[in-house]
Order: sequence, then C-alpha cells, then structure tokens
Amino acid sequence: MIDAKILGATTFVYFAAFAFYLLRMASGRESWGRWGALTALAGLAAHTAALALRWVSSYQMGIGHAPLSNLYESLIFFSWSITAVYLFFERRMRDRSLGVLVLPAAFLFMAYASLSPHIDSRIQPLIPALQSNWLVSHVVTCFLGYAAFTVAFAAGLMMLVKGPAIQTGGKARPAGTAAREENGRNPGPRRERSVPARFMALIPAPAVLDDLIYQSVVLGFVFLAIGIMTGSIWAHHAWGSYWSWDPKETWSLVTWLVYAIMLHSRYIRGWRERPMAVMAVIGFICVLITYLGVNLLPGLHTYQ
Amino acid sequence: MAHKNPIRSFFASVKLAVVLLIAIAAASILGTLIPQQEAAGPFIARLGPGWSSFLMKIQVFDVFHSFWYAALMALLALNLIVCSLDLLPRTWRRYRRKDDPDRMERLADLPAARIVVTGRDREEAAKRATSLLEKIAGPVTRRERGERIFLHAHRGAYSHFGVPIIHAGVLIVMAGVMIGLFSGFEGYMTIPEGESTATVRLKSGRGERVLPFSVRCDRFVLEFYENGAPRTYRSDLTFLQNGREAQSAAVLVNHPVTFGGIRFYQSSYGTMPGGNPVLTVVQRERKVMEVEIAPEMAFVLPEHRATVRVLRVEDNLMDMGPAVKLGVTAPSGSRQFWVFAAIEQIVAANPGILEQVPLFDPASFAPYLFSLRAAERRPYTGLQAARDPGVPMVALGAAVLMAGLLVVYFRSHRRFWILLETADEGTRIGVVGRSSRDEAGMNRELDRLADAIGAEEEAGT
Repeated sequence: MIDAKILGATTFVYFAAFAFYLLRMASGRESWGRWGALTALAGLAAHTAALALRWVSSYQMGIGHAPLSNLYESLIFFSWSITAVYLFFERRMRDRSLGVLVLPAAFLFMAYASLSPHIDSRIQPLIPALQSNWLVSHVVTCFLGYAAFTVAFAAGLMMLVKGPAIQTGGKARPAGTAAREENGRNPGPRRERSVPARFMALIPAPAVLDDLIYQSVVLGFVFLAIGIMTGSIWAHHAWGSYWSWDPKETWSLVTWLVYAIMLHSRYIRGWRERPMAVMAVIGFICVLITYLGVNLLPGLHTYQ
Repeated sequence: MAHKNPIRSFFASVKLAVVLLIAIAAASILGTLIPQQEAAGPFIARLGPGWSSFLMKIQVFDVFHSFWYAALMALLALNLIVCSLDLLPRTWRRYRRKDDPDRMERLADLPAARIVVTGRDREEAAKRATSLLEKIAGPVTRRERGERIFLHAHRGAYSHFGVPIIHAGVLIVMAGVMIGLFSGFEGYMTIPEGESTATVRLKSGRGERVLPFSVRCDRFVLEFYENGAPRTYRSDLTFLQNGREAQSAAVLVNHPVTFGGIRFYQSSYGTMPGGNPVLTVVQRERKVMEVEIAPEMAFVLPEHRATVRVLRVEDNLMDMGPAVKLGVTAPSGSRQFWVFAAIEQIVAANPGILEQVPLFDPASFAPYLFSLRAAERRPYTGLQAARDPGVPMVALGAAVLMAGLLVVYFRSHRRFWILLETADEGTRIGVVGRSSRDEAGMNRELDRLADAIGAEEEAGT
C-alpha cells in the first residue's frame, strides 16, 4: 500500500504549504509565498504519482479501475482537484494570497480521508453499479467543478474577512506590488505594523478577488454542467432514467441553479464584489451538501 | 426591455427568471428534506389526519411531480421564450453592427502603455499594424482622415448568440422531458427463473401495461468477489414474440438491452416461493395427512370431525420465517394458532416460548401435531422497463446548452482600433479595444498587440 503512504505524507506537505502561505501573509515577504507555491506543487506531484500508483496496483490486484470508486478515493481526488485548480488560478492571476485559505481545505480533506476510522482506504473491487465507462468522466468533471467552487469560496471568504472599508478598483497585479505600494505610503517601517494589519494589507483589492471569484465560478459552473450531463447519460444506462430526483441529483441541480442565479445577477444587475462573495459562500455550502450532506438522506448515490 | 405591454415586459424580465430559479431551487430542497412518494408513508402516519390530507392535497410528498412544480417550470419556459424573443433582435443587431474605424478617441486619452512610437513612416507602420491585427482579428478596415490613419477589426461577434443558445438548450431539454412524460412509461417486471411475462407494473402506482411481446428469464446469475462484494448481476433473457423466440440477450447493470423500442435494465433480484407450502399433520408419530395449502383453503380431519381453515400464509412472520395461521373448529371447541416452518430453531433460540405464547404451539390441537414445510424458493430477476422517446431531444438540448455555455464563458466579441499619426520622432501608434466579456484578458491581448507592433519596428531598424 505504498500509495496510501505517499498520500499520508502528501497530507503533511499540504500542511507545510499552508504554513508557508500563512508566513507570507504574516510577514509580508513574497519569498514565503514562493516557498508555499513550490511546496504545494511538490505535494501535487506526489499526489498525482500516488493516484497513478493506486490505479496501477488495482490492475495488479486483478480488479483494475480508476481510483474514483469510494468515499476515500473521492476525498483524495477532491483534494487533488482543489490543489490543481488553485495552482492554475495562482499562476493565472499572479497572486498567492489565496493559498492561505485554499491549502487548508486540501489538507483537511486529505486528513479526513486518511485519519477517519470509518473510511476504508483499501482498494476495493467495483460493484456492478460502478462498472461503467462513464465513471471517470462523471467523477472527474464533478470534482474539478467542486474544486473551482472551493477556490471561489476562499476568495469570497477573503473579501468578507477584509470587510467593507477597503479601496476599490485597480487591475490584477502581483500582491507583492500592492504590499510595497502600501508600505511606500505608510510612514512607519514594515515591522512596526501588527501581523493582522499586514495580513489585511496583503489581501488583494476587491476587484481582483471579484475577478477571481467570477473566473473560478464560471469554470466550476461549466464543469458542473458537464458533470450533471455525464451523470445523466450514465443514469440513462444504469438506472433506466436520465433523471430520478435522487437527493444527490437534486442537490447538484440546486447548486447549479445557485451559481446560475449568481452569474445572472452579475450579468444583468451588475453584482460585483461583496454580493458575489456572499453567493460564493452560499454556493459552496450547496457543494458540501451535494458532496457529503446528501449521504445523510436516502438515495441511490450514497457512498459506501 | 421596456415594452408598451406590461404583461410582456413582466414575462421578459430577468428579475422574474431569478425569482423563478430561486423558487425552483427552494422547492427542490424541500423535495429532498421531506420524504417523497413511498418513503413518505411512515411520516404521513405520524401526522394528524387533517394535516396529512392537506399536505397530500398540495403534493408535498411528491414535489417533483406536483402541479406547482410543473407550474414553476412552465413559467420558467414562458419566461425564457418571451425573454429570447426580446433578446434575439438585439443580438442580431449587435452581431451585424459595423463600427466606424475612426470612432476612436484622441490618442492623448489612451493609457500610456498602449501607445507605441516608432521611427517608421506612417504608411509603413500602418502596413505592419494591419498585418498584425489581421492575424488576431481577421479582415481590417482602414480609413484616412487628414493626417491620421484608422484601422479597425473585430472577432467573435457570434459570441453574442451564446445566451440565446443556452436558453434554447434549456427549452429543448424541457420539450424532451415533456415528450417523455406524455408518451413514455417506466415500470418494473418481476420474472422468476424459467418463466415469462408481458406485464409491466408502472411506477408510482399508475397501474399495469401489457407489452406486445413477453420476456422470459432463462437464468439469473449473481457473482461475488473474494471479499464478498457483488461482482455481477446478470439476467439471461429471451424475448418471445407470438410465442416464438425472437432474440436472446444478457442484461447487466450498466448494460441495458433494447427490444421492440423498450429498454430493459437490471434493477433488482431475489428469491420467491416456488409453489405452495406443505402442511403435515402427525398423530402419535404417524403421518395422517399432508396438504399443499393456500390462503383461505380448508380441509377436514375425519377422526375428530374437525375442520382446519388456513387463515393466513406468511412468507416471513416477525423475522421467524414462513408461517401459517390455522383456525380449527371441532365439537370439542375451536382454537387458532400459528405453525412455523422453523419451529425447532425458534424453540431452541427462545426456550419456554411455547408456554409463554401458546399461540405458537403447533400441538395446540391435541392429539395432532402440525408442521410446515416451506415451499422451495427460486430466484427471480427484477427488471426495469422503460420507453422514453424524449431522450434524443433531451440529449440534443444538453449539447446545445453546453455549446452555449462554452461560447458565453470562453468566447468574447473583441473589437480593436489602431490609430497612427505622424509625430516628431516618426509615427505614434495608439491601440484600443473593447471586449464583451473578460476585460482583464482583453487588456492582456491589447498589451501583447501594442508590444508586437513596437517590437517588430525595433527589429526592423
């Protein structure tokens, strides 16, 4: 079970990445941010290798299937998606501020998968309901969508944490620049400012966060749409009906509708920044209910 | 969207769309929190009769098939249609609109980053700018006004159609769902191994449907992995038309079979009694009678002029296995008692039970002792049968919806203007643009374009 060992180690690598991102926010030094990004990337590489190993060893056991078949594997893949989608946006937006909120999510899902006594980490054979070519495309698209919504949630949370008393406007730029500019305007040297104040100063401008929320929600919205569609095709083959109003299906629709409302409001009513942040938080709550909450409700979709 | 007709402008409004989406989301959440359909039984039983009949009347226990859920969907469809009727002409105008190449503002108002100064003369610089602009945005229109040259090009005008395409996709999906609702059906078939049937029990108690052919279950196969988890559920079926074997096929989970336009899915399995249970009557170690019994039948024990009536036949009574309830009427008096097939095990597991519960004593009518032999059980397969002519339409709608989403969120209409004017140092070039979406991406593209125009000039000198 070498894959489980690597995954266990990856959990702590993600924690280390979180610590570096936190140091960056506390000290205002971008070098810590670079360490955070590097560590997160290393964790993602190990994570990817472990998933590949797990896939290969399932074939060696004669029950070959993609590692996406039970709660353990889904948590592991969710965590992988969160880190991957976050690093994608970090590169694209050239801003490392969000790592301090996103990496804990990746870490927590890994830790839950590895440490919970109720979750079986062994590779299990596929039960008949999961023996389908649609398994991989359905699960991968859904989780990439969930991961993008996680990034949007983190950005929304940041915007709400910083509160309304902040300057608006400004286009995307490295957070380090923003910090330097602020310091330039501030008469006192950096080390005289309190840690929370530095943390607050490093949070990107609302316009940047707003752009990030919008872009990640759009990505998640499209992935969730593909996920619902592939799921429908699969259900059409497995259950005899492309839609059965099973709680997970219903909640995925609710989640999709919440983000549809959010995007319509932005498009038509010009919602920006705080209302978008609030919607990103509400949407993420729906994601969590869709993913884990519905296991408490009876239905066809529950994880074993 | 300001119409003279207030009703039309109400149905065209996006505000209505958002309200409807919120209402549909809220109703759907309700449908997952309140037990639905068959699952609602125990919940309804706990409510008072007034409440339960009221809630049943407003279809709270079948939200997704209720009239008000359908009404919300119908309103959304109407909203989408009216809104699209409004949107289409505007979209068409936006798509066809020709921009003036020289509508660009004065160079002085442009952000500094987008102004490039080169040593080339104006005409040569215009040629280079034209070829660069052509590469990213297609044909370039040019206009000269006095000392200035204006260049203009645009790409992705079709992306304005993204929103109407999404709306059309949703409407097509809805139409497909309606087709399925009105001309399709869904139900279950239970077929014991070796038998055939043509009857489908329709979902949610809508009665039965007899197929124009029958389905025979030749074999039901259940395989397990080493760890005990199920590996395969498979039914080997033969379809019989006019009594002749028309086709044989295996149905597995995830691998349905279509015959006669109806799809058959592996849905469940189990065992059922293969016949009637047999009751044996013993008198002083001697078997006096052995009868195959069915509910409500009666037989006579001649010696004591007793009539034995079968009151109930249970497959599994109180988790203690098959049992029958007998009522014996004789001149000596009448009594009722249960006869369990597994009476020996029951007594072994619950010593003294026959004294505590005389009702379970198979020797209640002395001098006879009754015993029950349950019928042989045999496997059956549970199939789901469905016909949904709306599926291709739903699939088409989903594809259209997806295409629309990709256009709306990953394509934009980008319009570019370039202004060239003679300056002291050579030619000053200004680059501006507008995008229907993703201003940040547009800014990056404009930066690249301005850089390219400048860089190529430097390489040329």
